[in-house]
Amino acid sequence: MKISIELFGQLSPLSPRRQTLDLAPQSKVQEAAAILGLNSEEIGIITINGVQSEMEDHLTEGCRLCFFPYLSGG
Amino acid sequence: MKLLRVDMNQSQVRWEPVPPVYERLGGRALIARVLLEEVPPTCDALGPLNKLILAPGLLGGCSVTAAGRLSVGGKSPLTKGAKEANAGGTAGDVLGKLGIKAVILEGQAPKDQWLILRIHSDSAELLPAGNSRGLGTYATSDLLQEMYGASCTVISIGQAGEMCMGGAGICVTGEGRQRSNHAARGGLGAVMGSKGLKAIVVDKPTGKTPPFADADLFRGAARTFAQKLINDPKLGTKGSQHLYGTASIVAAVNEMGSFPTRNFSNGNFEGAETLRGEHLREVTLARGGEAGTRCMPGCVIACRNVYVDATGKPIVGTLQYETIALLGSNLGLGNLDEVAVLNRMCNDFGLDTIETGAALGVAIEAGQGQFGDFESIRRLLAHVGEGTVLGRIIGNGAVATGRVLGIRRVPAAVGQAMPGYDPRSLKGNGVTYATSPQGADHTAGNAFGARKEVNPLGIQGQKELSLRLQIIAAMLDSTGLCLFARPPIIANPQLMVDMINGRYGWGWTVEDYDRFNRDVLRTELEFNRRAGLTTADYRLPEFMHTEPLPPHNATFDVPDTDLDTVFETL
Repeated sequence: MKISIELFGQLSPLSPRRQTLDLAPQSKVQEAAAILGLNSEEIGIITINGVQSEMEDHLTEGCRLCFFPYLSGG
Repeated sequence: MKLLRVDMNQSQVRWEPVPPVYERLGGRALIARVLLEEVPPTCDALGPLNKLILAPGLLGGCSVTAAGRLSVGGKSPLTKGAKEANAGGTAGDVLGKLGIKAVILEGQAPKDQWLILRIHSDSAELLPAGNSRGLGTYATSDLLQEMYGASCTVISIGQAGEMCMGGAGICVTGEGRQRSNHAARGGLGAVMGSKGLKAIVVDKPTGKTPPFADADLFRGAARTFAQKLINDPKLGTKGSQHLYGTASIVAAVNEMGSFPTRNFSNGNFEGAETLRGEHLREVTLARGGEAGTRCMPGCVIACRNVYVDATGKPIVGTLQYETIALLGSNLGLGNLDEVAVLNRMCNDFGLDTIETGAALGVAIEAGQGQFGDFESIRRLLAHVGEGTVLGRIIGNGAVATGRVLGIRRVPAAVGQAMPGYDPRSLKGNGVTYATSPQGADHTAGNAFGARKEVNPLGIQGQKELSLRLQIIAAMLDSTGLCLFARPPIIANPQLMVDMINGRYGWGWTVEDYDRFNRDVLRTELEFNRRAGLTTADYRLPEFMHTEPLPPHNATFDVPDTDLDTVFETL
């Protein structure tokens, strides 16, 4: 299945900021992170189609997955 | 320590020893207690019975990193309840070093008599405001530093405060030529204006340090605290806050569908790409501006910027998240140059960018301008500085603007405009807006980024999360700590207890610290109750319960029973 990815903040220089990945069905966020070479300790917020998510969550065909660094609101 | 009482009726100043009831309080905690002890809760917020209180936090003047904020408070003309707003700059530090627990302004100067309060090392005096009357905060700060010395700290209001507008804040200068630190929220600039006080000028203390009950305990805890901040992935030199400033969260809030867009009609703005903190940094550095500077002496987070135009000339320092949301996406603007110009105008008039951005959004919905049309928006905002009838409406905030212009989609709670998180898609903040004694104020308990704990779109756990955050915010605002400096204290409250005990020798335990924080909220809630605020004042506007917010089509559906029981376990 194809998913689109976007990386933000300090994560974006590590890999192209926007890209499309072709993953096996039922893949999880952590598998996409591994392919992108992201260090899980540097990931603060994850969203799938705008919904806050976690590394163990499953991806779906055509979804948009975003990785953000640690952020502080206020 | 001592109190400085300023009687504006008689133009007299008086130094007092700190009464026992105020001794163990600072910042927001002290403001809440002074309000309850000394201000009739049902008084006119812009009348002679209200008081304006300026107080450093308990750590003010102690040179703890990120702990030099100045709290300003009084009864708010917007919420009609207890209000505290705080600002960076040098004021909290210098007042703390001078041993001043609080400056309490009482009464009102005779009509059309404008004064300046000068505070020296061991004395204070009221002087005529002279030529500073009618000036914006930039010119006021320049003039007074020229007259009294460049090392003075200037605390001032602009035209908005002079005209007693509900959207008026109070501006504080910082190190060097730094301007634009604002205790912005709740209309406290109008309270200062109602007293006839244009500015406070504080001399830089020389060779003054507060006494320490246990200097070793204090130094050890303060050093550990600073090191923890430096090591925090969010806050250190490689952290988002330092690199991209508070605007680091633009993309995430937008992605999560909570980014106020065109008067809170969408949570996702198509022009957010060029409002992001990453873009802000890139443009700022390419043009020769500054990123990663500090608003308070010795702050290790350093999240400030100086935004410059295409020729490298400074427009505003600092351009921040809430301003980008309320004066940017909320008005349909995706160009930081335009947002920066509006920000500078607000700073100069002495206006809260949140309140004013929300009021402009409401005015545009009423047909007074066009979303995305910078020129029409700039003209609307210019009215405020000119004091036209339209300007006075907008300057009095979102609720006043909606009432006069016949708009019921007004993003406000307890009379105060909402900051840059639409509560329909970030429901923890909705609970804070709808329950905090401070009204719709993200700094009273911001749920953004509470990963793994609570689903921002769900209703489960929101009331518990909001209460926890509100208790922490009360601590930050009472010690002078910046909101961003909270992680090490949350992880280890003993650090704060050791700093307090090292400074004052009170023998606090973590339980005492927790009780202190909760008491701040209890005191404010009691003041608001006596002021006559009811459940109806606290509820979020009806349209947020019924109008689904794209892209998640969320409504604010946290049950009223949850809102009504948030403080049950306080």
